[in-house]
Amino acid sequence: MKSPAPPKRSAFLPPAKESWGTRNPFEEFKTFTTPTSNFPLDQIVQSTEAVMDRIRSGYEKLLEEEAKELVWMVQYNTIIKAYEVAEKYVKEIDYTAEDIEDFCFALENTQKIPYLIPGPAGVYISALCNYAKEEEIALKLSELKTEINLIGFRLSKGKRLLIEGDTGDFTGIGLEGGELIVEGNAKNWTGAGMRGGKILVRKNIGLHTGEWMMGGEIYVGGRVRGLGNIVEGKVYERDKLVYPGKARYPNLYY
Amino acid sequence: MENNGFQKQAREIYQFISEHLYFNRPDMEIKGERFNSAILLSLLTALRKGKELIIGEPGLGKTTSAEYVCSLVYQFPLGVIWGSEVSGHPEQTEEKIIGRPDLGKLNRGEEDVVWTNFSQMPAKIVDEINRLPETKQSMILDGVDRGNWEYLNEMIINDEYCLFATANYQDGGTNTIIAPLVDRFDVMVESRYPGANLSFLIGKDKRKDHVLRHPKYEKDLYQILKSKTPYEKKIPKMEEICNAYGQHIEELLGVKSFQRQDRDQIRAEMETLEIDLDASAFSRMLLAELSFCERYGQKRVVENCEEGCHYTGYLCHQIKNCASNRLPSSIKQYAQGLAWLLQDPEIDIEHMMAVVPYTVAHRIQWKDEILSQKERSKRDDPFPIFLAKEAVKAVSQRYREQSDHLKDALAVGSRIFQGEDLEPLEGDHPLYVEVKKDLDARKN
Repeated sequence: MKSPAPPKRSAFLPPAKESWGTRNPFEEFKTFTTPTSNFPLDQIVQSTEAVMDRIRSGYEKLLEEEAKELVWMVQYNTIIKAYEVAEKYVKEIDYTAEDIEDFCFALENTQKIPYLIPGPAGVYISALCNYAKEEEIALKLSELKTEINLIGFRLSKGKRLLIEGDTGDFTGIGLEGGELIVEGNAKNWTGAGMRGGKILVRKNIGLHTGEWMMGGEIYVGGRVRGLGNIVEGKVYERDKLVYPGKARYPNLYY
Repeated sequence: MENNGFQKQAREIYQFISEHLYFNRPDMEIKGERFNSAILLSLLTALRKGKELIIGEPGLGKTTSAEYVCSLVYQFPLGVIWGSEVSGHPEQTEEKIIGRPDLGKLNRGEEDVVWTNFSQMPAKIVDEINRLPETKQSMILDGVDRGNWEYLNEMIINDEYCLFATANYQDGGTNTIIAPLVDRFDVMVESRYPGANLSFLIGKDKRKDHVLRHPKYEKDLYQILKSKTPYEKKIPKMEEICNAYGQHIEELLGVKSFQRQDRDQIRAEMETLEIDLDASAFSRMLLAELSFCERYGQKRVVENCEEGCHYTGYLCHQIKNCASNRLPSSIKQYAQGLAWLLQDPEIDIEHMMAVVPYTVAHRIQWKDEILSQKERSKRDDPFPIFLAKEAVKAVSQRYREQSDHLKDALAVGSRIFQGEDLEPLEGDHPLYVEVKKDLDARKN
């Protein structure tokens, strides 16, 4: 004989008495675990450090590869070669304008960078500026003891580079249409070989200014110590056009 | 979430109303999208089977905004909506709101009820509800709450219904809405002045609502509503005509309205949306602040805060009454609706924060000192909604500061509840005390 089936419990009936009141009010949180404290600031610092390491490593490689050729005076071929090396490393790094400024500061203020050589440092910084995503870059160099050469090398059209502080020799050479503003002084050979664009030096500028300059304009807020052999372009001193103008003699006070 | 185009359809209805029928400025922003709160919440009310209280100055579109939404979501011609509205006035009677005896049958000694259009229609509008005297407001309590309308010994139950009630600001002819009725409204929203320029356009244009009229279908629907057919049998007949009207509206205006099965499908989809952990913890935090009293166990409107209470920095110290159990359900209902409309996979804290001010504004009774402190603050919203938004901002600030610890406390609570030998986490918020109370209750 078939035993009678136990009566089915209706879905609408309340649950069995023993389970009454046992509903866990925090059920949904049972799997919650606090994520390891990764504060946004830590992440920012970490990623900034990683970028800085790559920038620094590129600079060190440039120094290694170009160490033998470091006869940095007017040997333009050396500069071009060094720039090509710098370009190679810089292209591979994802960085911002702020990272360039941090690198400039690190040049003198950290043990991680073995030596600051004004020439290669300038070429490297120029490459960083030229390949930066930002069109406008501001660099604070006023706190550096060493004046960096070659800042603004080949600054291209559409870029604006603002330097707070003084720059060394060969500032803005080979400028390619960009705008370079130096809030302090610039030394010799500024704007040499520039093809277009604008250089504005708020204070004084050294000798050979605009040597073999092919175009563009140089504005000087203070005194021009001496002009170079300019092919084409304009040089202003305190809003007064000094080239082309009345007869000028290279590297002479006027 | 299923992508069947209903969200797009709902947005098109919103767009059509805001561009052609109810001109107003957007006044709320959710995830970068700006909406007008009156239209958005009315749309959600209609889709969620909710209850909305619309406040505002006379003539600023409280009733008309609700009428347009009801017409387009429920496919009723405007004339039928007008004919089923109940207006609040002191002489209003149960016979005009719910139903009356069938006088012909009564003469023959039989009892039967003739139900009003209002009680039978799924889209219900009570105009100027606060002109109903307090004693008469209780007549509609049950109907508003559960959709069951009783007269004599008969009852009809609305399976699908939503309710819109409008209320003017206090003047000589208004009464207070009784607390139990206020609590039954899920949301309160203001129908605002649209600004001088839009108002000028409204005045300049001819009446536009005739596009939602259709005399033939209106007549047919009235015939069904007043027929002696049992209520359950009237519904499918009405739906047929509503669908025909929906078709007509789509051809005429290019706006597709929702059929009954569409609305059911939408509700089913909304129901599947879960609350994420942050949204859940945030709501618990808010509810704790709106109900907690260390001294007396919970907030009660008849009790005052103790001098020197530790929890003076929380909302419980600023309010008189306790949050009702209808509040979390209203919050969830509207947050689900919003998440669905925005096609988000779950309800997050942003959906919560967007709807909470409108769900608590009418429910909180603020202490007099808070009212006088904040009365003159610069604001765009009506005072109760402004206070609610400020309260939500304060709670969300507290939540941001301690969200991880709070979720930890709830997680530990869950583990203790399941029998692990742990100590509940301590923290400076009423919710930590509430967690402990739940765990103590479990132990005992």
